[in-house]
Amino acid sequence: MTRAEAFSEREMAMCAVARMTENGKTYWAAGGGTPLYSVLLGKKLYAPEAQYVTEDGVIGPIPMLPFEPMMTMVASRPTYRALSWGTMNTAGYYAQLGFLDYGVLNTLQVDKHGNINSTFLGEYGHGGRRMHGPGGADTIAACCWRTILITDQEKRKFVEKVDFISSPGFLDGSEGARERAGLPRGTGPWRVVTPWAMYDYLDRRLRLIARSPWVSIDEILDECECKPLLADVIQVMEPPTDEECEILRTELDVRGQTSDAAGGWIIWDGEKYVKGT
Amino acid sequence: MTFAPSHPVELLAEGQSKFHPVDPDGFREWVRDHKSRAMVSKLMTEKEAVEKLVADGDYITYECNYLTRGPNLVINEIMRQHKKDLWVAGKFSYPDVGLLVAAGCVSKIDTGFFLCTPGVKAALAEGRVEIFEYSNVVLTMRLEAGAQGIPFIPIRSFGGTDGFEYSGAKLIRDPFTGQPTVIVPALNPDVAVIHVQQADKFGNARVFGTGISDVPAAMASRKVIVSAEEIIDTEEIRTNPGLTKIPYWCVDAVIEAPFGSYPGTVPGYYASDVPAVMECMGAVLRGDPQPYLEKWIYGVHSHREMLDKLVGASKLLDMRKREVIREGYRP
Repeated sequence: MTRAEAFSEREMAMCAVARMTENGKTYWAAGGGTPLYSVLLGKKLYAPEAQYVTEDGVIGPIPMLPFEPMMTMVASRPTYRALSWGTMNTAGYYAQLGFLDYGVLNTLQVDKHGNINSTFLGEYGHGGRRMHGPGGADTIAACCWRTILITDQEKRKFVEKVDFISSPGFLDGSEGARERAGLPRGTGPWRVVTPWAMYDYLDRRLRLIARSPWVSIDEILDECECKPLLADVIQVMEPPTDEECEILRTELDVRGQTSDAAGGWIIWDGEKYVKGT
Repeated sequence: MTFAPSHPVELLAEGQSKFHPVDPDGFREWVRDHKSRAMVSKLMTEKEAVEKLVADGDYITYECNYLTRGPNLVINEIMRQHKKDLWVAGKFSYPDVGLLVAAGCVSKIDTGFFLCTPGVKAALAEGRVEIFEYSNVVLTMRLEAGAQGIPFIPIRSFGGTDGFEYSGAKLIRDPFTGQPTVIVPALNPDVAVIHVQQADKFGNARVFGTGISDVPAAMASRKVIVSAEEIIDTEEIRTNPGLTKIPYWCVDAVIEAPFGSYPGTVPGYYASDVPAVMECMGAVLRGDPQPYLEKWIYGVHSHREMLDKLVGASKLLDMRKREVIREGYRP
C-alpha cells in the first residue's frame, strides 16, 4: 500500500473514517455523500463484515456502483441485494432498539460539546441563513451508540455554541444532560474527523487527538473559533493510499463531487506533503 | 407478586409551535362516514383526484420525493390547479417543497429535510410560509401514531434539540420508567399522496423496494390518493396477498400512472431522466423556478400530455433500459 502523491482534502477525511470501520458492527450513514462513501470504502478495504443502513431502512445492501446523480436512497442501485428492505420507520425503530453501533454524519457547524447545526446560521427567526434541516441526522445522533461526524476544518464551523442544535451532542456538556432530555443512556458523540484533524471527547469536551502530516497544531487551532482541548500526544494521521484513492475515484465518487475534487488538494513535493495551489 | 413503582406523570418541557390538531375520535368518525368498505372502483385521472380530494388549507403528506418514486404527477396537478394554503410534511423531500412554494401552494411546512431554495427563504422572510421543526424520523413517527389511532407517541430522539423548542413535542416524566421521555403529537394528514409500482382499481397496492413511510401515511390520512405504474387485476393481488402493503379500504383514488414519477426514478421500472432532474434542481436552486413551472406544469394539461409533448417515447424507453436491476421488483 503506497501513499498517494496527490489527493483532495475531503478524500483524506473519508479515508480516516473508512479506517475506523469494524467488522461485526453496524453503521447508519446519513444521506449520501461523505458518510456513505466512507463506510463503503471501509467495507471494501478494511471491514467487509461491517453492515450499514440508510434512512430508507435498507439493511446490508451490496450496492451496484456507481450511483446515479443524487440517487443514494429509495433507488435500485444503492439498495441492491440487501438483506432486508425497510422504511424510514423501521430504520428509526432499530436505532431506538440499540442495533445501530455507529452513526456517521456530516454537518456545517459543530460546537465544543458535539452539538450539530444543519438548520439555521444566525439568530433563529431573525434574518440569518436557513439551511436544509437535520433530515435523519437527529435520530442518528440521538440513538446510535457512537456518532462520527465529518466536516471541514474551518474557523466558523468549530464554535463555542452552535446557533441551533439540530442534532444532539452532549447538549450543555453536563453529565447526564442527554438522559435528562429523554435520549437513550450511553449514547453520544465519539469522533469528529476533518481533512486536517481528528478529535474525540474528554468529559464531553471536544479534544484534538490527531493531525494530518501537512498541518501543525497551531494551524488547526487557527481554524477553530472555539479551541478544543489537546491530547497529551497528538498523533499524525496517515495520508490516503493509492488503493483508497482508486476506489473512491473509480467506484464511489466517480464525479468527484463528494470528494470536492475542485477544492483543496494535497501534494507530495518529493520531501513532504504540501497544500496544492 | 411484585409491582413496579409508578411515577407521577409530569410535564417537564414543551415546544412552542402549533401543530396539526390531534383528534383520534374525529378521525374514527371520518373513517366511519367517508371511507368506503365496499370494493368499488376508484380509478380516476390525476385531475379528478386533485379536484375531488385536495382542498385549499389541507395538510398534505406525500411519500418519497420528486427524484425517487415520488407521486410527481399528483404534485404537479396540485400546482396546476393552484391549490392554496397547504400545510406540507417536508420529510425526506428534495426540490418538491421548493416547487410547491414557488407555485404558491404552501403556507406551512413541517420539516424534516427539504432543499431550502432561495424561493423558500424569500417566502419565509416575507411571512408567506411558516416552518415548524421536526426531523425525518420524528415526522414518520408522528405518522406512525396517526396510523395507530392514538393521540401521541413516545420517541427516543429529538430531546435537547432546538427543533424541540419550535415544534409540538413535549418532554414528560414517563409513569412507567420514571425517565424523561419525549412525546410527539400524532399526525393525521388530510391528504396522503403515494406512488406505487402496482395497484388494483380498488386500491390494493404493492410497493417494492425501500420507502419512507408509505403504509403509515396511507393508514393515517383522511384522503388517500394512490398512483400506480401498473393497474393489475384483483385476481393477481389474491395470488400473493403478502405483497399488499396498502389495503383497498385506506384508498380514495387510484390513478393509472405509467412513468408517474418522471423525471425521477421508480426502482425496478425506470431510471431517472438525469438532464430533466438537473433542470428541475437548477431551477429551484437558482431561485428562478417560474420558467420551469410554465414549461413542465402549467404548459400542459396532464402528466400524459407532458410525457407526449416534452419527453417522448424514445427517452422513456431509454429510462426503462437504463434501469437494469429487476430483482425484487417483479413478483
